Amino acid sequence: MIFRYLVLDILKILQKERTISSPYHLLKGKRSGQTIQDVGIFRLHPYFGILPKLSRNKYDEEIQNLVEQHFIHITKKSFQLTEKGLRFLRQHEPLPLNGWQYRGNEHIFFSRLSLIVQSLSHAREEVMSFNPIQKDESVQQWVRSFLIKNHYKSGLLAHNLYDEMLQSLGRAKISEQAKEIVVKRLTGIRMPGFTWEQISRELEMPELDVQIMYVACLHQWLNEILVGKGQYPYLFEMAQDIRVEVPLTESAYHTVLLFRQGYSIEQISRIRKLKKSTIEDHLVELAINDPSFPIERFIKREDIEQVLKAVQHYQSKKLKFLHEALPHLSYFQLRLALVRGETVCN
Amino acid sequence: MQLEQLLQKHFGYPSFRPGQKEVIEQLLNGRDTIALLPTGMGKSLCYQLPAYILNKPVLIISPLLSLMQDQVDQMKQFGEKRAVALNSFLNRQQKQHVMNSLHNFRFIFISPEMLVQPQVKNRLNQLELALIVVDEAHCISQWGFDFRPDYLKIGDVLKENRPPVLALSATATEKVLEDIRRFLKMKEPFEYIHSVDRPNIRYGKKIFPSKEEKTQWLLNHVSHTQGPGIIYTRSRKRTDEIASLLLELGLSASSYHGGKDAEDRQFIQQQFIEGALDWIVATNAFGMGVHKADVRQIIHDTMPSNVADYMQEVGRAGRDGKDAVAILLYSDGDEEVVRFIAGEDLPNEAQMELYDEYVRRNIHPKEMMHNGLISETSFRVLHYWMGLYPKEQVKSIFRQMVMEKYRSINDMLSIIKSEGCIREQLVHYFGQKLERKPEHCCEHCGIDYGEFLLPRTETHLKKKTFTWQIRLRQILLGTD
Repeated sequence: MIFRYLVLDILKILQKERTISSPYHLLKGKRSGQTIQDVGIFRLHPYFGILPKLSRNKYDEEIQNLVEQHFIHITKKSFQLTEKGLRFLRQHEPLPLNGWQYRGNEHIFFSRLSLIVQSLSHAREEVMSFNPIQKDESVQQWVRSFLIKNHYKSGLLAHNLYDEMLQSLGRAKISEQAKEIVVKRLTGIRMPGFTWEQISRELEMPELDVQIMYVACLHQWLNEILVGKGQYPYLFEMAQDIRVEVPLTESAYHTVLLFRQGYSIEQISRIRKLKKSTIEDHLVELAINDPSFPIERFIKREDIEQVLKAVQHYQSKKLKFLHEALPHLSYFQLRLALVRGETVCN
Repeated sequence: MQLEQLLQKHFGYPSFRPGQKEVIEQLLNGRDTIALLPTGMGKSLCYQLPAYILNKPVLIISPLLSLMQDQVDQMKQFGEKRAVALNSFLNRQQKQHVMNSLHNFRFIFISPEMLVQPQVKNRLNQLELALIVVDEAHCISQWGFDFRPDYLKIGDVLKENRPPVLALSATATEKVLEDIRRFLKMKEPFEYIHSVDRPNIRYGKKIFPSKEEKTQWLLNHVSHTQGPGIIYTRSRKRTDEIASLLLELGLSASSYHGGKDAEDRQFIQQQFIEGALDWIVATNAFGMGVHKADVRQIIHDTMPSNVADYMQEVGRAGRDGKDAVAILLYSDGDEEVVRFIAGEDLPNEAQMELYDEYVRRNIHPKEMMHNGLISETSFRVLHYWMGLYPKEQVKSIFRQMVMEKYRSINDMLSIIKSEGCIREQLVHYFGQKLERKPEHCCEHCGIDYGEFLLPRTETHLKKKTFTWQIRLRQILLGTD
């Protein structure tokens, strides 16, 4: 049900505008210009990269079900929700996800935490050798230095960490069930964790739904840890470099550095030996992420207003329509107006 | 000092286990040695003690990166800090650091691909080594079930004036032994071959006219007898299928295969080892590195593809020395599936043509793998042989390999179809003689299963569901 809600909610936002594959790329967190722009244009930040391992088959199966059960119907170039689909959305609560900011890094946070918890659990009984739950060498090294730095042998660390976890997870704004799931994925001495399948059978919920709740819970928990950092020093340390503060792709980042030094698009394109349109993609990406981006340098205020009016009038954000209606504006200008126009005019 | 005293001094054990002393004596005399010892019989002591006695570094060549790391970790846990693994996991800086201080280590584990790097080779040649150990030596033979082309290069690295070589393995047929001697350039090696027989394991066998009847028997058997046990299947799908059926019957079971999440696989292992899970339904991905002494039953849902695999999987039962039962299930036509899978692992002729074409068009053949045209394992093998011989010759090599695999399948099949003693045939397969038949030896000699398998006691484990707060406290603080 949760996966269905997610897919339908994205479909509702993108209906008549995009192809049926767009939600798939969004959930997988595809780093293409189109997907990243859609995040900005349609405000899809919560859902970006929530299910990086989602298989195309699984997604197609869900779409098939939605069509067969008349939640959506596919049109020639796009698709549309039916009344039944809209009703379904109204009857369900959205999950508090934050995909854009965490970008899958929530899993790094959890691997650190779970290995620390497993180590402390064994250290309590002076068992110094066990099969580590995390095999990734970089996670193991991180945890090793964390434990040594924080004098794990004293036993105090386990108590303090327990207090921090109890408090912060307690305050995280998400259901108790989601918290149960996260804690069931931890493992300790004589207390093995539970597999997705086992949790799914116990809660009588599909595995994919269990995993989405788990991700949502990690996001909310991380929010609490990062906001109340003074209160949770150990967890805050584990959450280092987890949130993406300037969430740009690597290449866009290099473009932005040059842009901020005052180079023009043409100059950057020459320096970086990249096509002009690629540089424009990067600047759109920056505009999505940085509220202080000087959009007026590229498009006049009146033009922005015109674009917004056209969106109202045609009830569409399709670039092709808008370009036909406002032929004097380039695709680049249109995209900037769509991404940031409202903030400039209001 | 006597060897026993040295053993006591360095390891605190009063006496050797079978074979260890013989092997160590020969090595100390400077003789090349092959030791075939079953898993869990203290293979590593055969090179550890000489390392302390000779007080020079020992080089251990090991095929599996994860296994290598395990061995180093284990040594460190037992207080031996002078152990290191030289493999591709190290970054350049770490590698350089290890290389510079190589003489300070007592145990140097290395992967074969690392061994042939000129820089590494030169550095190793400067060291005065006590021993060169080749672990899992059967990997050197293409007739072995676990052939690693990289292993063939080990022979090239061994210089004329070298310390004794110790080749270790759990099982090897005479053919594989021949390859070990030849490729490792061993000089009249001493061979210690421990019997592959495990007297406390009873070999059962059940033949069914159809797959459905087999499944029915399996479900019934597992519902009425006590575990812990492992059910081996040939496919992920079948693994999930049987596990769900068992779960529906209220049994404590889980499937295990390479398609599962890494954390999930760890949880299942841990649950099984700690007794929270009675049955594991697994592909052959399960077993390596799982140490559980009290496995009472091993059931093969279908025939294994060769006798060596079968012995290795069956060998996971009864490590505690107490009685255990292995039952092989067979229904007509099972060999067809096994034959089909056997062919799938090896590169086919179309892939060989493609490889050739890539080379002609100046594209790195690795791209075949990236384009999803060949699996990683197949590519590794293909790449090795295509680097050595022209295409037509490689084709005939692979044809021969496929034939060999089919022959191994037939060997297994003929043991299944035969009416003779199973134990005797298994032992003969490895060129050994069976010293003594235990009572309740095998299906044909007669087993009274009731003697060995306890009826399943309905464990009415009340499923305590804790709140997350309580679970967290139990894990971290251990109190209720």
